[in-house]
Amino acid sequence: MKSALFTRFFILLPWILIVIIMLDVDTRRPVPPLTPRPYFSPYAVGRGGARLPLRRGGPAHGTQKRNQSRPQPQPEPQLPTIYAITPTYSRPVQKAELTRLANTFRQVAQLHWILVEDAAARSELVSRFLARAGLPSTHLHVPTPRRYKRPGLPRATEQRNAGLAWLRQRHQHQRAQPGVLFFADDDNTYSLELFQEMRTTRKVSVWPVGLVGGRRYERPLVENGKVVGWYTGWRADRPFAIDMAGFAVSLQVILSNPKAVFKRRGSQPGMQESDFLKQITTVEELEPKANNCTKVLVWHTRTEKVNLANEPKYHLDTVKIEV
Amino acid sequence: MKLKLKNVFLAYFLVSIAGLLYALVQLGQPCDCLPPLRAAAEQLRQKDLRISQLQAELRRPPPAPAQPPEPEALPTIYVVTPTYARLVQKAELVRLSQTLSLVPRLHWLLVEDAEGPTPLVSGLLAASGLLFTHLVVLTPKAQRLREGEPGWVHPRGVEQRNKALDWLRGRGGAVGGEKDPPPPGTQGVVYFADDDNTYSRELFEEMRWTRGVSVWPVGLVGGLRFEGPQVQDGRVVGFHTAWEPSRPFPVDMAGFAVALPLLLDKPNAQFDSTAPRGHLESSLLSHLVDPKDLEPRAANCTRVLVWHTRTEKPKMKQEEQLQRQGRGSDPAIEV
Repeated sequence: MKSALFTRFFILLPWILIVIIMLDVDTRRPVPPLTPRPYFSPYAVGRGGARLPLRRGGPAHGTQKRNQSRPQPQPEPQLPTIYAITPTYSRPVQKAELTRLANTFRQVAQLHWILVEDAAARSELVSRFLARAGLPSTHLHVPTPRRYKRPGLPRATEQRNAGLAWLRQRHQHQRAQPGVLFFADDDNTYSLELFQEMRTTRKVSVWPVGLVGGRRYERPLVENGKVVGWYTGWRADRPFAIDMAGFAVSLQVILSNPKAVFKRRGSQPGMQESDFLKQITTVEELEPKANNCTKVLVWHTRTEKVNLANEPKYHLDTVKIEV
Repeated sequence: MKLKLKNVFLAYFLVSIAGLLYALVQLGQPCDCLPPLRAAAEQLRQKDLRISQLQAELRRPPPAPAQPPEPEALPTIYVVTPTYARLVQKAELVRLSQTLSLVPRLHWLLVEDAEGPTPLVSGLLAASGLLFTHLVVLTPKAQRLREGEPGWVHPRGVEQRNKALDWLRGRGGAVGGEKDPPPPGTQGVVYFADDDNTYSRELFEEMRWTRGVSVWPVGLVGGLRFEGPQVQDGRVVGFHTAWEPSRPFPVDMAGFAVALPLLLDKPNAQFDSTAPRGHLESSLLSHLVDPKDLEPRAANCTRVLVWHTRTEKPKMKQEEQLQRQGRGSDPAIEV
C-alpha cells in the first residue's frame, strides 16, 4: 500500500515540475500591445461591487418623469477627503471668523475640519460652535509657549503641528484612504472652486493667493505645466515663495514623511512654508493648479481689530450673551 | 551492475526535487517582462479612472439642496447688498455668496456703486448659483467719501439701498439677473446685508416670518461686544447701546428686517442721505413702525447671530513700487 502511494507520487512529480516551468516561461514572454476591448472598471461602483459596463443609454436626469421612481444612484468612486487644519485663538472676532469659515466648509463634499485652539484647554465657545456646525470635525488644543508669542515670530506653529500629529496618529494602524491636507487660517477667504482644484493633488499642489506680500497676488510661475519660479513681492530668494494658503499636500506624503513638521528653532520669519515644504518635495515636483496658476481662488484677508472702547469694565448684565 | 528499481526511482526523485526547487527559485526572480507589464497595468489604471469619472458624472444625481426642498409657501428673503470697487471686493462677495447659498428661497439684490455693471461683479453673480438681481447706481459726488476720510462723515450705501427699494416697488432698473420685481401680494422679507459683515445661517430663518419689523442683537458694534434690543415679556422695552441712546431706533443696519408687504404699503419709506450720523436706520424705520411694535427674534434678543466685522485694507506697498517701475501685477488676473 505504502509503495503504491510512493510510486504514484514519483510519477506525478515530473509533470508538476513541467507545468511550473511552462508557467514560468510563459510569464517571461513580452506582453503584446494592448488591443481595444470592452473593459469593466473595478473602480466603477466602489469597493467590492460588481463590475458593471458603462451605461450609455437611458434618459438624462432632467428628462425623467416625476412619477417614475428614480433608479438608485450607484455609489461613486470614493472622493479623497480634504483635511483642513485651522489654528484659532480667542479674540472678539473668533466666533464670527469661524462662522463664515464653517459656512464655506459646509458646501465642500468629504471635508474634515481639524480645528486647533491655541489654549491649554478646549474653550466652551469653540466646543459649542463645532457641536452646532454639523461638520465632520476634530477639536484639538495646544498652547503656544509664551516665549514664542513675540511679534515677528511665526504664529500657530504648535497648532499646525498638532493637526499633523493627529492625522498621523489616526492613520497609523489603518491603510490611509486617499486624502489631501490644507492649512486654512480662520480669517482667509476661500472660493469653493479651490477645493475642487486641490482634491486631485498627487503630492503637493500650488496656486496663487490674492492680497498677500504687499501685492494684488503672489503666484507660482508656470512653464509647460511645471513651476519654474515665483511672482512674489517679499523675499524672492525663498525656496518656496508661497503663502500658507497657497498649497495642499497629499495625505500619503504626510504619512510617508513622519518627521515633516513646522519648525520653531532655526526658522526665520516668513520661512515656515519653505522649511516645511523642503522636507517633503522639490520645486520641480510641484503640481500647478487653478488654470496653470492664473486664477486667484483664495484671498489672504485680514479682519480689523474690534474697537470695544464703550464696553464696561464690569459686566452688570444678568444674561451672559456669547458673541 | 544490476539496477534496482528502487534506486532508479530514488535517483529520479532526487533529480525531480532539484528541478522543482530550481523552478520555485526562478519563480521569485524579477523577469524582463515587468516593465511592459507595469506599463500595461498603468494604462489600465488610467482607463479605470477615466471610466469611473465618466460613470460618476453620468450617475451623479442633481445636487441636493442645502436644506430639504422648500414649500412654495415659504416667504422669500430679499437680501439687499450695496458694494463698491476695492481690493477686497471679490473676496467679500465670495464669502457672502457662500453664506447666502445655504439659505433656501433667497433673492440677492446686489447694488454696485458704479456708473455701470462691472465684469467682476457680473461674473461673480453668474457663477454664484443664487437667484439674483444686479442693480447699479453711482453715489453723487457731494456724498462720496474722499480719500482718507473716516466712514462716518457721510452715510454710505444710501443710494444703493434706495435703488433696491425702488426695484422692489416695481420701478425697474435691473442690469442683470431677475428683472421682474415681486408681484403684489408676495410674502417676503427685506434685509440689508453689507458685504463685509458676518452672518450665521440661523439668522435668516429667524427673520423669515417677520410680520412688520423684526430685530435682534448685532455683535462687535458701537464700541461694545454687542448692541441689541432689551426685551421684557416678548416686547422691546429699550436698547443696549452706548452710542447716542436717544436715537429713535438705536439699531445697526444688520439688526433688523422688514416685511415686504409693509415696505410696499409705504411707498415713501426710504433711507435719508442727509440723516445725521447714526440716524440712517432710524430714517427708514420711523416711516414703518413704532418702537414698541418691533418683533424680537434670536431667543428674545439673547443670541448674537450676526457680527459687524470689518476687513482690513490690504497694504499694497510692493505693488505700488513695482507699478512705478512699470512692472506691476498682471491686470488680466482678477483678484
